[in-house]
Amino acid sequence: MKLRRHSGRAHDGGPDAALVADLQAAIGRDRVRNDSAERALLSRDASVFDDGVAGPICFPGSTAHVQAVVRIAVRHGRAVVPRGAGTGLAGGAIPLGAPVVVSLTRMNRILEIDHDARVVWVEPGVVNLDLTKHLQPLGFHFAPDPSSQQVCTLGGNLANNSGGPHCLAYGITNTHIIAAEVVLPDGEVAMLGGLDAEPLGYDLRGAFVGGEGTLGIATRIAARITPTAPAVRTLLMSFADVRDAANTVSAVIAAGIVPAAMEVMDQRITRAVEHYVHAGYPTDAAAVLLAEVDGLHDGVDIDAQAIAAIGREQGATEVRLARDDNERMLLWKGRKTAFGAIAQIAPDYYLHDTVVPRAKLAEVLAQTYDIAERHGVIVMNVFHAGDGNLHPLLIFDAREPGVLERVHAAGAEIVKASLAAGGVLSGEHGIGVEKQAYMTLLFTDDDLDHQNRLRKSFDPDCRANPGKVLPSGHSCADIQLLTAVPQGMWV
Amino acid sequence: MTAPPLAADPVLAAFAAAVGVDGPVAVEGNRTRWATGGALAAGTRLVQAPTGIVHHQAEEMIVCVRAGTPMAELAAALRDRGQRCALADLGGTVGGAIAVGENHLLVLGCGTVRSSVLEVRYVSAEGRLIRGGGPTVKNVTGFDLPRLLVGSLGTLGLIAEVILRTNPLPATSVWAMAADADPFAVRDALLRPAAVLWDGDTTWVNVEGHAPDVRAQLAGLRALGSFTEVAGPPALPTHRWSLAPADLRQLDSTEMGAFVASVGVGMVFAERPQPPRTLSPAVAALSARVKANFDPTGRLNPGRAPGAR
Amino acid sequence: MDLGIDADELNTCVQCGLCLSACPTFRVTGDETRSPRGRIALMRHVQLRDAPLTPEIVQSFETCVQCRGCEPACPSGVQYGRLIEQTRTTLARTHRSTPRWLRLAYIPLARPRLLRAGSVAIAVAQRLHLVPTRLGLSVRIPLRQQPIPASGSDVYLFTGCVMDAWQRDVHLATQRVIEAAGFGVTPTLAQAPCCGALHAHAGLTDHTRRMAHKMMAALRPDMPILVDSAGCAAAMKDYGHLLGTPEAGAFSARVFDVQQWLAQHIDRFPKVAPLDLRVAVLDPCHLRHVQKVHLDTRVVLRPFVRELVELDDDGLCCGAGGAYSALEPALAGQIRARKVGSIDRARPDVVASANPGCSMHLGAAGVPTLHPMQLIAQALPGRRPLD
Repeated sequence: MKLRRHSGRAHDGGPDAALVADLQAAIGRDRVRNDSAERALLSRDASVFDDGVAGPICFPGSTAHVQAVVRIAVRHGRAVVPRGAGTGLAGGAIPLGAPVVVSLTRMNRILEIDHDARVVWVEPGVVNLDLTKHLQPLGFHFAPDPSSQQVCTLGGNLANNSGGPHCLAYGITNTHIIAAEVVLPDGEVAMLGGLDAEPLGYDLRGAFVGGEGTLGIATRIAARITPTAPAVRTLLMSFADVRDAANTVSAVIAAGIVPAAMEVMDQRITRAVEHYVHAGYPTDAAAVLLAEVDGLHDGVDIDAQAIAAIGREQGATEVRLARDDNERMLLWKGRKTAFGAIAQIAPDYYLHDTVVPRAKLAEVLAQTYDIAERHGVIVMNVFHAGDGNLHPLLIFDAREPGVLERVHAAGAEIVKASLAAGGVLSGEHGIGVEKQAYMTLLFTDDDLDHQNRLRKSFDPDCRANPGKVLPSGHSCADIQLLTAVPQGMWV
Repeated sequence: MTAPPLAADPVLAAFAAAVGVDGPVAVEGNRTRWATGGALAAGTRLVQAPTGIVHHQAEEMIVCVRAGTPMAELAAALRDRGQRCALADLGGTVGGAIAVGENHLLVLGCGTVRSSVLEVRYVSAEGRLIRGGGPTVKNVTGFDLPRLLVGSLGTLGLIAEVILRTNPLPATSVWAMAADADPFAVRDALLRPAAVLWDGDTTWVNVEGHAPDVRAQLAGLRALGSFTEVAGPPALPTHRWSLAPADLRQLDSTEMGAFVASVGVGMVFAERPQPPRTLSPAVAALSARVKANFDPTGRLNPGRAPGAR
Repeated sequence: MDLGIDADELNTCVQCGLCLSACPTFRVTGDETRSPRGRIALMRHVQLRDAPLTPEIVQSFETCVQCRGCEPACPSGVQYGRLIEQTRTTLARTHRSTPRWLRLAYIPLARPRLLRAGSVAIAVAQRLHLVPTRLGLSVRIPLRQQPIPASGSDVYLFTGCVMDAWQRDVHLATQRVIEAAGFGVTPTLAQAPCCGALHAHAGLTDHTRRMAHKMMAALRPDMPILVDSAGCAAAMKDYGHLLGTPEAGAFSARVFDVQQWLAQHIDRFPKVAPLDLRVAVLDPCHLRHVQKVHLDTRVVLRPFVRELVELDDDGLCCGAGGAYSALEPALAGQIRARKVGSIDRARPDVVASANPGCSMHLGAAGVPTLHPMQLIAQALPGRRPLD
């Protein structure tokens, strides 16, 4: 009985044959793909942008592989775009101009733990939640927990300086990356930062984190591990008005309490989520506030009671304490899958993630509902309230003619309302290709010029993820790299 | 609808004018770390950064403060409203503390300087007012200029004003000391100590939080040593050594003299200075490009470079 | 080309990517063409954007284990199983996949005598060491089958095709356990020779429909049908959807995974001393992701063993996937290696899996794997030693 079928080798030739041959010679045939299916898939991420064009795709297994790929790309005059799990919402991993795509999913080893420094060395393809699960038996976790943590990678977290519900108390990813070995856009390898208390020189590590792949590719990451608190209290509060929930958040912080997380969902999103997870979310409340405190046993009770009292003062119709870990996990599962659950209502969504001062939350929220209504689209609000980080989801069906224009117009107005309230453009999703045009609303030409100087220091020739972050006209001369789209591609 | 340009603020505009557009220039604060990073080149013009707290929004956990403000003034103002920040009051100015970037002794409790500077407003080598970052804790809007400025010794831009993250003061904060404890075990036993110090014999620990939690933690510590409450940390030797936390297990007091080490952090305060550290060639080249891009004529704090001795 | 997928269904996916780590083939390759999100995007390219059906795209579809682990991970409720099954059906119908030899290989499944003859041939070959190890045939196929007589007519025990030919000992154990709960058992044997699950997997859904009709006609309409193979039960529970008739729906409602059924009657078992074993429960995908009754296995097994332990991989597929382990041996092996790592961390004495394919696949990697029914039969009074 012969059960072998035709070999599954990717066929080569076609566009970029010489480049592909060099890449394959350097890192191995099975680590380079260049077929139209692969290129089509890797031209997109989780964002709504579908105008990306991927070149050959490499799956390196080591720093040396990444270095070889970058050097070959330089030699062929091609840009390089790193990619993790492709869960970004701002289009940061969208390849523009058929660059070489460096998928880091196969560099997924957890290397070693330094207990004295409370640091774990990982490769960039390690999945965020896998790392936390690996650390759990040791009493630790990786604190940044973006909603996509079950799939997103440490490399992606680093590139986007990702947030998540728990960065209110624990800080964003930049706080949790101690050092990173990076392959710079010219192929040089440098260790940025270090485990020592105050590493020498400029904080290039700090500048690199959040660079959205435009500053180089991290190939080894020293991530801070955080001891897991023995006690956790998770409160679910219901409100008859979403503004009461927002005001509760402000009042909690004003009272000197910094919860581990404070998240708000409005009624529409709560209903969609409840339908998916059956966590017992109240579907009749106008908004629910999920607040979590962690620490030691007495302190969490003191804080939880104080938060509950503040909630009631602000008009909470129900205050519920999660009974056990199981209920807690369910509540969080609901919150973290909120975006995906939208599809039950409409097939497409678009969202911004502006940050506003907490005191302005209620006001800006009210504006989002007004703006959406004026443009005839539905908005749902689910957001990291403790950080003032809004996630107004505009949901729609892209097949409806003209809807995209209305969605974008509403999105732009929401951004402007947030900035007018003293906020910033993006709390955690990044700028990518999505928000470049808005950068000039927040920064002057001089400000953007200095951001570009930072970028140019790492990437003088604009070879790393060109066409991202800075608006055109403010970024280094990356335009010529964006024009050469190979012929004969269907995308 | 662009935010009002920084130049609209007469105080900032005056500072930018003082910095000017040419000639070597440096900001003079209280000179508490004047020699850090090398001697300032002769003939460098000195200017003073503007002073004063612009606003402190405790409920937003931020403070906007001008660089020339004495640290003591900032610390006192925050304390009045039940807050603190990551900058240590070592007798200097806010701008100096950020330009040097030294962390607080309680860094495990109040965070690093690098992650506490949310927005930075500085004067560039071309004499322009530049804004980087933003007023919120969560912010990934563009490249991270604040991180680059922290610890840069004024070599990339001269800081005029910053927005810092603040934090509530802990309800209780207690120092305790024991001569017979293993500092590494002490550190592992505590959930979030603000500091664990060790001089080779004696261990000091700072525990903060709600009073019942602090009491419970101190009670637990007694299993690890005969801890007694004390008023504060020991006197710290002058020189800062920056080591990896694992290095503290084999400190050599013949090399550094008497020391107090911060366990879990890697900072060591010692009698003698740390031998010079060096940047790898790749990092040195990258740093040189940063400097050249931000200060093409080399007029900002000439003679100084972060990490130089 | 029209894959025959409902356009609304195809548009449900918002490309969030939350399915990626629940997909065994993405986990071991890190490659979007080996992920549910990628496969759905390729279905869209082919059906909606008229992209050519390249060999790479066909391969992307063929490398799917069809474990459906992505479905519970999907917050949008995308019915991925339906999408891939429809795609594979169209590919098979247009002869873009499922080559002729494979179609021939499936013929004996519905013909018990042919299957038995083939199995004896393999059994002989095994004893002459003529079966290549890469086929992963970890069971020693019996030369002679033990008889499996009916003991009453409270419930049917669906015996199926390959499993009956190769692992009748599991059926015998299952029958003993059901009897111990006080039910008389009728094995279905030649009345219902095959459920058609493997055919549906390969896109040969017309075959599956024929088998469904045959089985529905042969079995009495008033008896519950218990199944000790997770893959078969999942297929039979899907007849309602597959045939779209009320009769088929009623039939499917009578189909139970044997653990699911016994969990309702757990109080009818005699109290016995538990086996002194630490048992790791391996959830067959078609039990966990498709039938969603995997927790019942724990309910039924718990009184009979010293300790039950969970694996730490959130029910990620083991790579068996019906004939998958034979068709895609390299991928299946990599997927299994992950599973074996998880099993190693759980340090069990034995692994319990309620699906014959998983047991064989893991057995081929040296992992001692038994059906939960075999463990319970062992713990019951008057037990026979495990063979």
